[in-house]
Amino acid sequence: MLRLLLLLLFAIASTSSALAHTGGGMGGGFLSGIAHPLFGPDHVVAMVAVGLWGAFLGAPAIWLLPVVFPLVMAFGGVLGILGVPIPAVEIGIAASAVVLGLMVALAVRPSLIVAAIIVGAFAIFHGHAHGAELPAGADAVAYSLGFVVATGLLHLCGITFGLLVRWPSGRVAVRVAGSAIAVAGLVFLGGTMA
Amino acid sequence: MTLWGAALAALVVGFSDSASAHPVIQGVTGFPGGLLHPVLEPAHALSLVALGLMVGQQRAPHRMPLMVAFAGALLAAILLVVFAFAVTEAGTVLLACGGLAGLLVAIARPLPIALTGALIVIAGVALELDSVPAIISVQDTLLALAGTAFGAWLALMVVAGSTLDPKREWQRVGVRVLGSWAAASVILVLTLKFAK
Repeated sequence: MLRLLLLLLFAIASTSSALAHTGGGMGGGFLSGIAHPLFGPDHVVAMVAVGLWGAFLGAPAIWLLPVVFPLVMAFGGVLGILGVPIPAVEIGIAASAVVLGLMVALAVRPSLIVAAIIVGAFAIFHGHAHGAELPAGADAVAYSLGFVVATGLLHLCGITFGLLVRWPSGRVAVRVAGSAIAVAGLVFLGGTMA
Repeated sequence: MTLWGAALAALVVGFSDSASAHPVIQGVTGFPGGLLHPVLEPAHALSLVALGLMVGQQRAPHRMPLMVAFAGALLAAILLVVFAFAVTEAGTVLLACGGLAGLLVAIARPLPIALTGALIVIAGVALELDSVPAIISVQDTLLALAGTAFGAWLALMVVAGSTLDPKREWQRVGVRVLGSWAAASVILVLTLKFAK
């Protein structure tokens, strides 16, 4: 998986399609799509938390969440592109970091269905934000692929770190990471409600 | 093998550049231009990766008929172009096929060959019809289309062949994740297209 990650990063770094159709640098294309989740710290911590929680829950959640999340997020993206309003999207995104971080920090182990519903609900908020903020004139294929891949790689970061739960000290480290994410989520939540 | 399949898939899409009916590389036309078109046009590359993953995921007896059907569809589409058949939304149809294939890969359930076969044939015809170059010469057009057919078939073979029978769980899941990414991308692109 590490080699796959390296190859994916190589492919991302090598692509030249990002500037193909848009006039303004990062305005569209693959790099812009990649950058969108990566430059939103609230997105980053929540996506990492999804991976952490998946690793904490173990199989099959560790594998199911990365498969299901992009599809549910795309559904949220569709709502965003179509302009279907979802109340308090930014609050929902910040809350996702709080809730998912707490799940990891408190080592909560609900059933797979419950975990999938929780993560899926937050995926809609994240997808809606991505869809609604799609830059005009962006190369749609490259952009959408970019942000889906970036999201998946953030999950992978969380899963990779989360695999430390195999060891007692690693389990503590993962729960501490979950706590840090929850705190960061609270900061984001405070920022959106201020 | 799945690792290399996934890497190839990522590289094919990652290296893709924007293109339309114009040459994907200035000055490269005819057979070489057509050959490169499927892997350098993002929508085509994405669809081919998803379709290739789907073919590779099928049971062994189904794979060869699907690859033959894809080749047949590509060649049949060249005949359609020769008889001046054209459609305006071939690219959209191809993307939809790619998205559906990605979804089927993500679901990872045994599929009837009638479904996968229909999907691969429609995608093959749509890909070729969406690759007709904007050049006047009949000879150049046919050469480009022949190149596109060969390039697309080769890309499908490579992706499908390198994802055959993964032995480890994470490899099977990796293929499903790639399918999920492809489906999610296509859903967004098609929504954006129809929302305009």
